[in-house]
Amino acid sequence: MQEWLHFIDRWFWLGMGAIGFAILFNVPKRTIFTIFLLGAFGGTLKFIVLAAGGGIILGSFFGAMLVGFASIFAAHYRHTPPFVLAIPAVIPMVPGAFAYRAMLGIIHLTEKIDHETFLKLMEETVDNGLKAFFVLAALSLGVSAPMLIFRRESAKNLVVRIKPDEARSK
Amino acid sequence: MNQSGEEKVNELSKILLEVGSLLMSSGANSSRIRMTISRIAGAYDYDVDLLITHRALMLTIYNEERDYFFSRLKRTSPHGVNFKMVSGISRMSWRIVEENWGMDQVQKELDRLKSLPHYPRIIILAMVGAAGAGFCRVFGGVYLELLVTFVATFIGLYVRQEAVKRSFNPYLAIFFAAFVSSMIAGLALKLKVGPNPEYAFATSVLYLIPGVPLINSLSDLLDGNIMNGIVRGVNGLMISLSIALGMLGAVLIYGI
Repeated sequence: MQEWLHFIDRWFWLGMGAIGFAILFNVPKRTIFTIFLLGAFGGTLKFIVLAAGGGIILGSFFGAMLVGFASIFAAHYRHTPPFVLAIPAVIPMVPGAFAYRAMLGIIHLTEKIDHETFLKLMEETVDNGLKAFFVLAALSLGVSAPMLIFRRESAKNLVVRIKPDEARSK
Repeated sequence: MNQSGEEKVNELSKILLEVGSLLMSSGANSSRIRMTISRIAGAYDYDVDLLITHRALMLTIYNEERDYFFSRLKRTSPHGVNFKMVSGISRMSWRIVEENWGMDQVQKELDRLKSLPHYPRIIILAMVGAAGAGFCRVFGGVYLELLVTFVATFIGLYVRQEAVKRSFNPYLAIFFAAFVSSMIAGLALKLKVGPNPEYAFATSVLYLIPGVPLINSLSDLLDGNIMNGIVRGVNGLMISLSIALGMLGAVLIYGI
């Protein structure tokens, strides 16, 4: 019971993170709820993969891929390019914490410190920097995965077979 | 076509460059800009080639049959993410193709999109504050720390908006915001508010992360627009550096 509450709590706050950025990026009003759902489920999938021992990079990749595929389907009903939905939804997964820890590490490295501390700091900085880069690459690859797989220029050319009369078959 | 083809091309090139520059400054990636411009030009039976860079767009319209071409260059306005614009232009480009819009109609729609309001400032501040609190919660913070993050984010974003309004250098505006946010969250860390105040400190600057430049950078690189990808990536790095320097200021002052 406790675990479920924790799960739902985190799901909710992940969604809040996504719509906070959605508002900052001035998205159309009709897309806000969709972005909440995409952000919440994408982030939750990341934590599920993390809990299954997949690591932060694999977790971010699967989370972003879920967001990427879902955004293509949602784009048809919200009449907006998929990336308007996908980018705010993956922003909570952007490795901001790793990136600025790496930056702070680099700044600290320039200070006068002894050899031992330097090596330890160097190790942390490289670790954080590499993680930031690969998580970012995984996010961007995950979001563009549907387009890379289906090889279409625009999401409008992907037929969604839920409401056949609305889908275009160009 | 016969009736002053040159004037028509002139007008079309203005519209296309306006669309491109609006998309570039609203945070669309390079392949989307190219795609949208080609789509609109195709609706008027013209072919275009484009040179897309971060701060300027160059466009050549040509017509094979008449052996005629027309070039124009336009500077893009300073960047500020605005997805309402991207979404609106994308819808418009499809309606131009499907409903055979005239050029004056397109110009009118562009003017309408430009006049669309942003969300009210207080809503932006409150929602971004809530997003910051959300990050803190996901990290594992308790409600007291969430409140600290909310306040730090709210005031930090306010400072950034004010700095941008006073036309400070954009990186400097981010530095100010990061400094103010981490000073507030750092105070909570210094006074030991809540069980894990370092979560609040770490998440108080996350609203500044350059998510759009970095994701667009990677997707441009993936599309083969290597130059644009590098430019956007370096921009993202500069923003991260500004954030780190702002935090460093607070770290040095509080000695944490």
